[in-house]
Amino acid sequence: MSDRIKLLIVDDEEEFLESIAKRLEMRDFNVRTATRGAQAVEIAREEKFDLALLDLKMPGMDGKQVLEILKKEHKYIEVIILTGHGSVDSAIDCTKLGAFGYLPKPYELEKLLDTLRQAFQVRMEKKFRVDQERMDRIAKLATGSSALGILRELKEIDDDEK
Amino acid sequence: MNKEKQRAVISADALPFNTEHYREWRRRQIMRMAVTYLAPLVILVVYFQYRYIGLEKDSHRVHLGTIAEHQANTLDLFMSERRVNLVNVVDHPRFSVQPLSEEMSDYLSDLRRASEAFVDIGFFDSAGVQLAYAGPHPSLESRNYRNEDWFTTLTSADDNCVITDVYLGFRQQLHFTIAVSRTVGDRFLILRATLDPWRMYEYIESQQMAGDATTYIVNRAGVYQLVEEELGRPLEECPVEVSSEETYGFGEVESDRGSLKYGFRWLRNTEWALIAQSAPGAESFFSTPQSRSVLVSAALLLVAVLVIFNRAGKLVAQQKEADQTRAQLEHAAKLASVGELASGIAHEINNPLAVITEEAGLLMDYTDPQFGHTLDEEDLRQRLGTIQKSAFRCRDITRKLLRFVRKTDFDLQEHDVHDIIDGVIDDLLGPEILVSSIGVERSYDGSLPKLRTDANQLQQVVLNIVNNASDAIGDGKGEIRITTSRRDNNVLISISDTGCGMTSDQLEKVFLPFFTTKEVGKGTGLGLSVSYGIVRGLGGEIEVESAKDIGTTFRLVLPFRQKR
Repeated sequence: MSDRIKLLIVDDEEEFLESIAKRLEMRDFNVRTATRGAQAVEIAREEKFDLALLDLKMPGMDGKQVLEILKKEHKYIEVIILTGHGSVDSAIDCTKLGAFGYLPKPYELEKLLDTLRQAFQVRMEKKFRVDQERMDRIAKLATGSSALGILRELKEIDDDEK
Repeated sequence: MNKEKQRAVISADALPFNTEHYREWRRRQIMRMAVTYLAPLVILVVYFQYRYIGLEKDSHRVHLGTIAEHQANTLDLFMSERRVNLVNVVDHPRFSVQPLSEEMSDYLSDLRRASEAFVDIGFFDSAGVQLAYAGPHPSLESRNYRNEDWFTTLTSADDNCVITDVYLGFRQQLHFTIAVSRTVGDRFLILRATLDPWRMYEYIESQQMAGDATTYIVNRAGVYQLVEEELGRPLEECPVEVSSEETYGFGEVESDRGSLKYGFRWLRNTEWALIAQSAPGAESFFSTPQSRSVLVSAALLLVAVLVIFNRAGKLVAQQKEADQTRAQLEHAAKLASVGELASGIAHEINNPLAVITEEAGLLMDYTDPQFGHTLDEEDLRQRLGTIQKSAFRCRDITRKLLRFVRKTDFDLQEHDVHDIIDGVIDDLLGPEILVSSIGVERSYDGSLPKLRTDANQLQQVVLNIVNNASDAIGDGKGEIRITTSRRDNNVLISISDTGCGMTSDQLEKVFLPFFTTKEVGKGTGLGLSVSYGIVRGLGGEIEVESAKDIGTTFRLVLPFRQKR
């Protein structure tokens, strides 16, 4: 596990995708890209990501659907919505569905970086809290219960990494 | 508060009608209600008024008749009593054929006890010489009455009693005579009494029967016998002509105070008629029952009119409010479509802008020494090209948008409309259509004259519609049918497809900018809105008809010669 932030960017605009990926890589992000929603879901199943950057309007599976699947399948991933749409209604809908936040296109890069850092922070804290609780439980179990329980807890922690 | 103010401004702006409109509308409402509510009411009121006044007239006539009858009876009774008084004197056993003046005075005071109306009495022989007299006119004693009417009547007729009209006589005072004749042995004697008609009148008046009517007496000749000063004087001609053939009746007489009704009754034993006439004062407008009912009806109608006006006012207010609400809704709808438009523009422009900012940002990063990158010339050229391409994408959007909202200049030339269509199908679409499984069928009306139009613009319209048609058919099998025909002074181009069609919801928005049913990235939603703008600019119309899953038909109606 590297210490670089793993980021998945999904956008149907290939030129955009290519340049934003390059720029974020230059800023020490570990970036994977997808031009279609379905492709993004597949990639996320193969690798673990800390964060995802989703375009809302895409042919085929749109950003909203991808968001729902990602949040369902991955416990700790934080999703940021990018939208070129003038209306923020659909973006707000997305935050209700669990997105960390949204950014209207075009944006200043600093703003995007800020949002990504905040999202990562939240992700880390969440993961830390859950791990903490588990460790507490293991400590309790260690003082008087079966080795099987400890094993089960440890396996769950391992599973979360995926 | 600010919000409230804004709303008010919107509603005032958006109101489709001015106050004149509402005034007209109110007037029509009032007319309508007047016809439906007021007219029947007026007819009813007039009808009942008419009936009531007729009834009232009848009852007034009957009333006057009753008064006349009653007073005539009273007068008849009075006359009979006076005659009996006189007969009692004459037939009394004590009555001597040569009474002394003391005896005469006794007789008179007896009579006056019976009635104050008696003035004097006289005793006459057959020659008309007054033998004895008692009363206030002693100078009349020993006068000869041979030629007086009452005397000749008594001497000539079988009747032994006479009652005269009112006259002045020797004494030059109003009086009338009751005389009775007797034949005692071979002597023909007459006892006569004169009576003061005013006393008699007082007696009638004292009966208080007249009410609001004036009563007076006329004789057969139509001369006042007794009458109140307001109407005339005794012995004057009476304007009322009382029918002598009937014992009673009714009538109307014109006076300087308007027409007055009267009822009359002839007396039974005197040649007099008693007339009861409605008093002029009683005819004043506000006191008669019919005028009161007229006033009540007028008040009723006034209330009805007020109610109608009030109701009309309320209706207008309601209508105004409804109009305002509708105007606000329309305004909101307009704002919503402006919002839709704006968000459509935003989406179409923001995406290429995002590409530009990212490419530019990346190039800046490359030149930033902290990243330690070098700038590859080929890469640079490519990225600048992308930036340019994205900028043009933005420009295209704004240009199309402008074409939609603003009339652009047209290059008008004479063209065969079929050449234009063929140009689209064969040259512009040819290869695409050929590879797909879509059949294009053209059926042209060869007799169509040339069309003065802008060929490029019209081609764009046809291209947009045919493109949409082929998209609607998709990958499956389908057909596009293009027909031309004449409709009045227009050419009609009809383009039908057997594609997926549209729902009524979609159909409604079909010409709205940025409305598209195509996948993201495949259509900007500007094609049909631009086509709409072009066709309108060419002075034509564009119509659309669609059924879900059956197909869509677009019809272009273009004038052969557009008005400039």
